[in-house]
Amino acid sequence: MNIYQPQLATVTDLIDETIDTRTLRLEFLDEAVRESFDFKAGQFGEYSVFGAGESTFCIASPPTREGYIECSFKAVGKVTTALREVNRGDTVGFRGPYGNWFPVDEWKGKDIVFVAGGIGLAPVRCVIWNVLDRRDEFGDVTIVYGARSVDDLVYKRELEEWSSRPDITMVTTVDPGGETKDWTGDVGYVTPVVEKTAPKADNAVAVLCGPPIVVKLTLPVLGKLGFADEAIFTTLENRMKCGLGKCGRCNIGPVYVCKDGPVFTAAQLKQLPPEF
Amino acid sequence: MTDATDKGAADTGVAQRYFIGEDDLRTLTGDLLAAGTEVIAPVAIDICQSPSAIAASACTRPGVAPVEIEYRRLASATELDLGRGLPELSLKGYFLPEHEALCRWHQHGTTVEVEPVPTEFAPRVVLAAKPCDSAALAVVDQVMNWDYHDELWNGRRAATTIINLACPVIDEGCFCTAVGAAPDDVKGADGLLTPVDGGYILEVTTEKGRALATAHEARLSADVPADTLGRQADDERAAVRARVAGNLEIDAASVRDWIDTHFEDPLLASLANRCNGCGACTSVCPTCHCFDIVDEEEGVGHGTRRRLWDTCQSPTFTLHASGHNPRDDQNVRYRQRINHKFSIYPLKFGEVLCTGCGRCTRVCHAGQDLIEILSEIDIAARRPRETEAGTPAEAGAAS
Repeated sequence: MNIYQPQLATVTDLIDETIDTRTLRLEFLDEAVRESFDFKAGQFGEYSVFGAGESTFCIASPPTREGYIECSFKAVGKVTTALREVNRGDTVGFRGPYGNWFPVDEWKGKDIVFVAGGIGLAPVRCVIWNVLDRRDEFGDVTIVYGARSVDDLVYKRELEEWSSRPDITMVTTVDPGGETKDWTGDVGYVTPVVEKTAPKADNAVAVLCGPPIVVKLTLPVLGKLGFADEAIFTTLENRMKCGLGKCGRCNIGPVYVCKDGPVFTAAQLKQLPPEF
Repeated sequence: MTDATDKGAADTGVAQRYFIGEDDLRTLTGDLLAAGTEVIAPVAIDICQSPSAIAASACTRPGVAPVEIEYRRLASATELDLGRGLPELSLKGYFLPEHEALCRWHQHGTTVEVEPVPTEFAPRVVLAAKPCDSAALAVVDQVMNWDYHDELWNGRRAATTIINLACPVIDEGCFCTAVGAAPDDVKGADGLLTPVDGGYILEVTTEKGRALATAHEARLSADVPADTLGRQADDERAAVRARVAGNLEIDAASVRDWIDTHFEDPLLASLANRCNGCGACTSVCPTCHCFDIVDEEEGVGHGTRRRLWDTCQSPTFTLHASGHNPRDDQNVRYRQRINHKFSIYPLKFGEVLCTGCGRCTRVCHAGQDLIEILSEIDIAARRPRETEAGTPAEAGAAS
């Protein structure tokens, strides 16, 4: 088996989340692959448009929804621009799942706090739905999500659904100046909004993903709220090509993000050299 | 012979010795070629005859030898160069080609057909390989088989029988013994030729090596008197080891641990002051294996997905789509190269990602000298422990 040869998948649905961000739903062409494909929340893959190349994103749909996978991406480079051009029924390539995952099974009985900024909600969304699909197994669920502006919020329909659920504390915020006249959510950066929301840290874990600046600033705030470094999980998204620990570009010191990650605890992050 | 288990190119420790005359070695090469076996070996190329204007221009420069050694697929046995010079490029390209197809695609409307590439290869032989080049393959075997097996790499490795030629040591830029290799190493190879009076002693150490010797028994003599030819070979092997040993002596374990714990040390940050990031060092390096994957369209609706050599010295190597770059200046990119070779890789796989061939130093137009750099790190690694705990030997043992 040539590990670099992709599986083929059909685009069965697509949603434009924002002006430049899109979600694709993919179903594997090969029935055997469709049946046997399995992954865990937090794993990633190499998605490709033939002729444009491969790009790395997490799987944004939860493993509890079988038969398809979803990815969300911002059209900024060659491959993501090409992925944004595909239509329903088109064929794309996928290699994966790769990397480690969020230890969701170990969180049974705990409260879970999700913090995401911008497109950083994509990997977190996979975990959110994974937890919601097994809602009884977990305690309180809090979601704090922020984006630059109302237009930049992704998964808008899901944000509404989560807001309306009585079993979720949902806070949506936009950066100052990013609000619209009819905006009813918070206004402010993610970090101070997390501090204000003040989810309790007893018997809780936090899942954090966003631009480097959001992660960097939010880690100490979660610490101040009482979250131990071992109870804070994040996912790193370094540039990758192979996803298999061979091509040599995603490492941070001795850690290969593709093999040892992409999921790390804050305690593990603190052990890494400051090169991410 | 048949019950010996052959684990890839693993050295079984039992070396079968033969004598082969120089003429017989050429005849054996001719036999291989006549049988249709691909033979890769050093070839001396007159660069004045090169179609490349840049290469040809070098032959008019004073002090530049008009001959360049390269590993080439032999067209005839007369091309085989046994002068023991160092090929400009290592054997790497014969196992991880500069660019190679990973798969091909054909688009028909909305459907795509992916055409696999073969991962099995015809048997081939490398003759007179540099021990540092074969050892490099064994080192890279580790990452190529880290959980996921790279079938393209493994396929070429399995199909290739490699016979080294003991290296006379090229110049003061060689340091194989400092990084766990040796000028008479069979690591990564299946046998070793050592020059003696009138020819070579051939030692075969693996199943593949023994198979090659058995198939060409007519050209070999199993009669190797231990007190004459055998001793000559042993003496030559000891001599080349002694010749290279003085070029660099470091405590690789201390170097590994020091780099791992001194990521932000000013020494590591200043190592690249002369480097301008051209990436020539990674290109000529037998162990640098980082690659890129790109799609190459070859017409409307079809093309090839390829992997290409890449270099950690390029700013785009780690550049995120967002514009953020974790390694945004040349100092940190150079630190990465040193860190990967002498700390990350040994910590992960137990081996230094370097076999001391010295090509990076020889090719560098800015004068980056790996021997100088490793010496500096070695001194830094010993210094604090010397003050605290006494001798450098203790420092090494403590790591």
